[in-house]
Amino acid sequence: MTSTIEVGAELEPVTQTATLTTSVMYAGASGDLNPLHYDEGFASQVSPTGGIIAHGMFSMGLVSRALTAFAGGPERVVEVAVRFTRPWPLGTTSTFGGKVTDVSDGVATVSLWGDTEDGTRILRGTGRIRV
Amino acid sequence: MALNQDKVGTTYPPYTYEVTRAKIHEYAVALGETDPRYLSDGDDCAAPPTFAACFTVIRGGAALFADPDLGTHPALVHGSQRYVYGERPLRPGDVLECTPRIADISTRGANEMLTVEVACRFQDTGEPAVTSEGVIVFLGSAPTDDAEEGAA
Repeated sequence: MTSTIEVGAELEPVTQTATLTTSVMYAGASGDLNPLHYDEGFASQVSPTGGIIAHGMFSMGLVSRALTAFAGGPERVVEVAVRFTRPWPLGTTSTFGGKVTDVSDGVATVSLWGDTEDGTRILRGTGRIRV
Repeated sequence: MALNQDKVGTTYPPYTYEVTRAKIHEYAVALGETDPRYLSDGDDCAAPPTFAACFTVIRGGAALFADPDLGTHPALVHGSQRYVYGERPLRPGDVLECTPRIADISTRGANEMLTVEVACRFQDTGEPAVTSEGVIVFLGSAPTDDAEEGAA
């Protein structure tokens, strides 16, 4: 990475559409087989949106991907913490990014976010990376 | 039904998890990762940070959900998640010893928040590998005013 890690520096955003394919792949990879994330009939009964929603952990994985690329690799990531603020409905596209808010004692603090295309904030959080 | 506050601090028996190259590869592909180390067949292979989801989220909560005294119920959502990492990323062949613990139970409005901590250490050195802190929100499970009056 060539980014300078200083206060105000921004992550290269990651943009992803949530689809049945991404959901099934994440379910298999992570072992979280909750049918809320791929079964339309099940989701219609229990989902807060009435439809299938992506795994919260999929959204965390994507914002962590942006953070880790910015940091220069997984060995530089000290902490990732997020709150899942709204569901991410299948068929919608979200963008994940962040901005450095502090650099001290060799650690940069990065505010993290994920927004759907209509501006709904589905995730916010904080990362800490070694600089 | 309310969660049992007396369970805060309860530690459940540890389980082990062995990191494999194939699982790292599968997880990285699911996230659309492009760092070649995640997909490497060589000694440089390492796992992306949230790979820890594979052995902390479902597996970490399993012991708690099997505890009949905790009072869990199925109307739940994953409210937040935090990972704190050790000195190096996970690599193929790492064997982790993972210990789940109920770190906190709190009430917010009609909901209850259960904080599940899973402390994962490298089995060979005992050094911390990653600690997971997940908050599970139980919808509508908080004690009602009526129940509190009834108890008083």
